[in-house]
Amino acid sequence: MNLSFFDQFSSPCLLGIPLILLATLFPALLLPAPNNRWITNRLTTLQLWCINLITKQLMIPLNKTGHKWAMVLSSLMIFLLLINLLGLLPYTFTPTTQLSMNMALAFPLWLATLLIGLRNQPSTSLGHLLPEGTPTPLIPALILIETTSLLIRPLALGVRLTANLTAGHLLIQLISTATIALLSIMPSVSILTSIILLLLTMLEVAVAMIQAYVFVLLLSLYLQENI
Amino acid sequence: VLHTTRPLHTSQQCSAPLPPLPEKGGEVRHGLIPEEFFQFLYPKTGVTGPYMLGTGLLLYLLSKEIYVINHETVAAACILTVIIYAVKKFGGDVAAFADKLNEEKIATALAVKNEAIKDLESAIEQEKKEQWRVEGRSYLFDAKRNNIAMLLETNYRERLMTVYNEVKKRLDYQVAMQNLRRQKEQEHMIQWVEKSVVQSITPQQQKESIAKCILDLKALSKSAQAAV
Repeated sequence: MNLSFFDQFSSPCLLGIPLILLATLFPALLLPAPNNRWITNRLTTLQLWCINLITKQLMIPLNKTGHKWAMVLSSLMIFLLLINLLGLLPYTFTPTTQLSMNMALAFPLWLATLLIGLRNQPSTSLGHLLPEGTPTPLIPALILIETTSLLIRPLALGVRLTANLTAGHLLIQLISTATIALLSIMPSVSILTSIILLLLTMLEVAVAMIQAYVFVLLLSLYLQENI
Repeated sequence: VLHTTRPLHTSQQCSAPLPPLPEKGGEVRHGLIPEEFFQFLYPKTGVTGPYMLGTGLLLYLLSKEIYVINHETVAAACILTVIIYAVKKFGGDVAAFADKLNEEKIATALAVKNEAIKDLESAIEQEKKEQWRVEGRSYLFDAKRNNIAMLLETNYRERLMTVYNEVKKRLDYQVAMQNLRRQKEQEHMIQWVEKSVVQSITPQQQKESIAKCILDLKALSKSAQAAV
């Protein structure tokens, strides 16, 4: 198995059958299904507590109409969290490293928030394009800038997630290659590199969780503005 | 097919009643391999059997280059270190937290039940007290009856007193009227007598009585001088 650095990012295929759907849906298998017991086992209790915490955190700044998005945002959060964390295991494929998948998540959701805002409260939505208290000569330039920033949001959302995860995985691969290469030449430097790798792995765990949270948080923020 | 497969069923084919959750999870060794595997190999290979199997398997994979050591191996080692460290450090706390959540759930339900039981018990106490109170009811009624009789008696006597006073006032009035009439008659008579007497004194008589008085006075003055 001679792996190049970018084999981990290629869409998985087994005997010509694309496995991307399986890879994307696999994390759902790891979550215990809600059963009809009153007192459940530890895993189900923790899962319930976790989902309650996430949903509460996301729904506090939103008003009543925003609560319709609770299911979408919570499930998106759990989905991204699990996919990111599972991608840190060796020889696994992370679907969120693919720009196509992240854009497919970010673009429709962002567009939904924009259209909701433009439909229900058009003047308030357009009013967000001009921050309060700007001096009058700056207004045209500022409107152009704010429009650009608005239109670039889906791109930013998708690329942020892709870039963070891809960069992280790539860094792990490079540093572990360095560790292996140095092992025969200079073992002490190799050990140093492996310590760096350990720290990087811990960082990557944190980044995986944070990126998922940031994605969903930004979407809820865009929703807050437009609801 | 439904009936031919029936002998193969190992459990009841219905949901209720739910079987209770097992107290502890299955026994595992080294966090991964179930204890049953070691028990399975024990009769043939003894205690070290599974470990020999594992080591041999690993060496076979490595020496035949079925598993190639590449950069992913080092990354795997790192992530495994992180995972094992996290599980060993925080595993107990997380389990205790999950248990605490369940305990709280049970405790609130039990609290409701105990509250209800306590309320009912205190209601029973109250009821018993009320029944005891009912027994003393007759004394209460007697006392009340006495009270009312006394009130009535007092009222009657007051009214009697009022009647007596009123009658006395009227009789006093009559007596006062009679006295007044008597007095007025007396005064009138005295005045009439005096007026008649004064009228009947003639001037002749008046002169004679004055002269007599002067003679008497002279005589008296003579005897008075003597006394001094």
